[in-house]
Amino acid sequence: MLYAKVVDVSKEKIDIAKAQKFIVSSKYGASIYFVGTVRDQNNNKKVTGITYDSHDALVIKSFEEIYQEAETKFKFENIAVFIEHIKGYAALGDTSIIIAVACKHRTQAYEFSRYIIEEIKKRTPIWKKEHYIDEESVWLKGNPIKTR
Amino acid sequence: MKIKLELFGASRDFSKKDYLEFNLKEKSSIKDLRQKILNFVDSNFKGNENYKKLVLSSTFCSEKNNIVSDNYKITEQQKIGIIPPIGGG
Repeated sequence: MLYAKVVDVSKEKIDIAKAQKFIVSSKYGASIYFVGTVRDQNNNKKVTGITYDSHDALVIKSFEEIYQEAETKFKFENIAVFIEHIKGYAALGDTSIIIAVACKHRTQAYEFSRYIIEEIKKRTPIWKKEHYIDEESVWLKGNPIKTR
Repeated sequence: MKIKLELFGASRDFSKKDYLEFNLKEKSSIKDLRQKILNFVDSNFKGNENYKKLVLSSTFCSEKNNIVSDNYKITEQQKIGIIPPIGGG
């Protein structure tokens, strides 16, 4: 069971309570919440915030593919996964991504959650523009997406 | 035919708008479109090397939201997205 969304922070907030509501069930014995936030330093520069850009349709498609691949790879039964990633401006400490995973057992939840975030980093079309004190903002260099 | 190139990530620096428009010959490929964008960078940004590297390292996305290779034939007027190297999370 997957829920996936790109949250435009100029219109609504990303909220972990939504994730909790989605994955809560007595079927699951373990829940993992991964929350990515904006930190104040990167490459020895003082960061003031990040603007996230997204190709929304491809992002959702990639979340669905990653979820399906993880299901095939791990073959766990009864899993709930909630993924939200923001687009727009995020200040220091703001949440950029929430991945909530609920499974029967803790090892499954850790494995599934880790797989999802690592694959998102490799292939989900989201971009970051970092903002600094007294310096021009910069789009961060990323990983090229491979054509299949 | 006219192609609307939707801009994402660092390629947004190519225009104040969210897109660029290019005229392509019928049955052009993504490879041809890539060359058009490189020519655009030459003309509008004095061949900015960082922009050219960005174009060369980008992939492209069809209007049906499929990642397409350089051989993909653009058979009709459509929107194509340029997908620069990614890094969210």
